[in-house]
Amino acid sequence: MKNTLKVQRAMRDLTQEQLAQILGVSRQTVNSIEKNRYVPSTVLALKLSKVFGVAVNEIFSLEADD
Amino acid sequence: MATNSIQNSDPKKIARWTKFQLPNRFKRIGLIICILAFLLMLGRKFAEGPLWIKPLLSNIFIIGLLMVSLAKEKIEDELIVNLRSQSYRLGFTFGVLYAILVIPLINYVVDMLVSGAEEATFEANVFEVLITMLAIQLLFFHKFKKAHS
Repeated sequence: MKNTLKVQRAMRDLTQEQLAQILGVSRQTVNSIEKNRYVPSTVLALKLSKVFGVAVNEIFSLEADD
Repeated sequence: MATNSIQNSDPKKIARWTKFQLPNRFKRIGLIICILAFLLMLGRKFAEGPLWIKPLLSNIFIIGLLMVSLAKEKIEDELIVNLRSQSYRLGFTFGVLYAILVIPLINYVVDMLVSGAEEATFEANVFEVLITMLAIQLLFFHKFKKAHS
């Protein structure tokens, strides 16, 4: 699964730390999602969608091998 | 009764048990308990004392390790929960394998060298097994956290 989290964050001029605080997670979690090392839960994906004001599909998308 | 709710498979009540954790400060408290128990165990080697002291200190050491294992991180988010779960799985698996393969072999070799082949046994005691499981879980958890930092 790939994501546009880094782009979405940059568009809103948010640091990983700031986004982590909004979501109530650690900076490491945001970093791991951005680097595709961790796939977030539905709840966290929906929180991200709410923070960025875009659909979950615009942040996360499936890859051929998913 | 709590055990009844587990038997009746009520997910919400089961979660209350499976999600049980200690506050973050117990990580430090557990570590201090482990160090003190370890130092007392070392001290006991050089001084005479009643027989019940060794198992008591081993129990205290294990309780300290368990406290560290159950203590929450400063931010206990879903990634940490996931890493914790993976570390428990590995800790359990390696602990069992270590208990049935490695510890008995070490004990056998040590017994053979110290007491001779006739008195050598493949026994592993409960403290060795529990300490191994908890130590492996904590090591893997630490390693996983570092990999995500």
